[in-house]
Amino acid sequence: MDFSAYLTILIGVLPPMCAGILATFAITLIFKTSYTTNFAQGVISAIGAYVAVELTLEKGLPLWGVAIIGVVVAFVVGMLIDVCIFRRGKNVNAIGKQIITMGLISLFVGVIPFIFKVANYESVPLQPFIPITKQLVIGKVSIPYNTFVGLGLTIVLMVLVFVLLQKSKWGLSVRATASNEIVAGMMGINTKVITAISWAIAGALGAVAAIIYIGNATFSSALVMTTTQINAFLAGILGGFATFYGPVVGAAIIYLLDVIIGCICIHVPELSMWKSAVVYGIVMLLVLWKPQGLFGKKMVKKV
Amino acid sequence: MTAKNDYLVKKMLAEQQKEQSAKRALQIFDKFKHHPVLGYVIFAVVLVLLQVLAKEGMISTSFIGAVGSTLIYCIVGLGFCLLLGYSALASLGTAGFIGIGAYITYFCFAEYNVGVGVAFLLVIVVAVAVGVFVGFISLRIEGIYLAIVTLGVAQIIKEVLSALVDTIKISAKDITIFGMGFEIREVKQAVFFLIVAIMLLLMWVTHNLINSPTGRAMLAMKNSTSAAQAFGISLMKYRLLAFVFSTILAALAGLLYMLYIRSEQNSAGTLFTLSTSLNILGAVIIGGTKSIWGTIGGTFIIFGIDKMFLQDIKFFNDNPTLITIVCGLLVILVVMFFPGGLVQLVKGGIFKLKTLFVKWRVRRYGIEE
Repeated sequence: MDFSAYLTILIGVLPPMCAGILATFAITLIFKTSYTTNFAQGVISAIGAYVAVELTLEKGLPLWGVAIIGVVVAFVVGMLIDVCIFRRGKNVNAIGKQIITMGLISLFVGVIPFIFKVANYESVPLQPFIPITKQLVIGKVSIPYNTFVGLGLTIVLMVLVFVLLQKSKWGLSVRATASNEIVAGMMGINTKVITAISWAIAGALGAVAAIIYIGNATFSSALVMTTTQINAFLAGILGGFATFYGPVVGAAIIYLLDVIIGCICIHVPELSMWKSAVVYGIVMLLVLWKPQGLFGKKMVKKV
Repeated sequence: MTAKNDYLVKKMLAEQQKEQSAKRALQIFDKFKHHPVLGYVIFAVVLVLLQVLAKEGMISTSFIGAVGSTLIYCIVGLGFCLLLGYSALASLGTAGFIGIGAYITYFCFAEYNVGVGVAFLLVIVVAVAVGVFVGFISLRIEGIYLAIVTLGVAQIIKEVLSALVDTIKISAKDITIFGMGFEIREVKQAVFFLIVAIMLLLMWVTHNLINSPTGRAMLAMKNSTSAAQAFGISLMKYRLLAFVFSTILAALAGLLYMLYIRSEQNSAGTLFTLSTSLNILGAVIIGGTKSIWGTIGGTFIIFGIDKMFLQDIKFFNDNPTLITIVCGLLVILVVMFFPGGLVQLVKGGIFKLKTLFVKWRVRRYGIEE
């Protein structure tokens, strides 16, 4: 059996997988510090990507530089959202917070065409970091160098973030805020700052995810990250929001399932139509089997 | 003498009778005045009048079209009101359920041409099945987790449906409603009346459901599942009921949507996506989760206001994205500052007006003895 076909599928999935893992971590960070599912995550990251695209296409700046600017903008936007809205809405319940993030989607989708000229293009051709034509060829398999860039960036960022979470003072404060905000505040942790920085980091990671993602896909609208975001939510449920690493592993599982089903589809062409449905179906069954997530802890409810 | 007495007695009796009947009439009127269904009936009558006026050309067709499509979302909202406001089950699968209804209708009309009665039955049967399935999921998973799982269910439904047929479209000449055929011009009107009738019926059913022991049980379940179970309320029964009810309403809305808009594409591809589910959730929250009128008001704000009013204003017409900005801001502000929804705002406003009136009267006439 030809092994290279499988590898080609795996390599095709790698860039979205990197984006998915970054987005999942961002969503987990916000879920644990603000107790809400941030539906606006995709749009915030799209803003970062739009900054990068605007500066490359309109001003002709190199992508490496503008990517950093885009990430910084998303960082600031994330922080502003927390400072302006969520800090003031402490008495809003969990579902209310979800609705606020939904309102943010409409707000940003409306604002983006006013700020960015590129938003009015039909589709935006963003050049990846290294042109897609430059490829590493091993036998029958060819891997674009750009994929390595995305993969390397994701691994470096994830390792950095997890080391910081475990070893740094910031990480300790985040973990304390996540387990109990009020007690963390009583212990002298400035939970407001921690929450704001969590939002900012989530925005920045999202922007990196979006830039990796759109280097390999067409960038058509502010809602380009929606699929990634839905995968990220499901990954959170699959891994369990109780830990930080659970959702990330969940994201990897979802995208690897995609690869596996894709490989099966080579042999069973009729299945390819139902590919996504099968992947989501398997995820659903896993979630029903373990409602707390694969790495979740059972919550004991006090009455 | 006796004749005069007789006459007086008769007159008195007649006056008494008159008074009594007037009193009775007043009592009946009072009963109806406070009967909640009266409001729904008036609402339906107003809607029918709007359609009649539109036919006479006094209201633009785009306005009445916007009202019609908003009413369809109102039906979804009613189901959601019971689900979220009374059972505290947050679901993001709504778009998928609407999609199921729409696709069944498409197959019934465009592929097999079996008419609206069969479509109704099929939609309800499938919706019950799906509702029971999701209801069982809700027994295992709760809160925000449930919202995400139902989102996944909706995603599966979307993938399956779009794998079946890519885009769906019914032509107006295929539509018959309970054996009646219509001219192509009149189809939209007839469907509008159908929507209003179903809407009225569903408002009434929802009202009764909310004010019955079922609604009480759901509220108990919302506040504390453990306490509710201690009082002998079966979680399974009421969660399944809530999901089945809301799924049926969503699927029915899908059916009406296909009859009214007749093409999935007209909604700019937003019919089965996450944003539809989110918008319906937003509409119910903005209006006030525990009120039928609130739900309807919220739906009109989210879905109706841009197409009904703002599009006609030149400023908004030139910058169509401003409408999205306004809607987004409105949602954020309402949730932040009026957690009880617009119903709370309106009720609070009426209460304030009443107190102001009382104060004015006291100042003008002094305190009543």
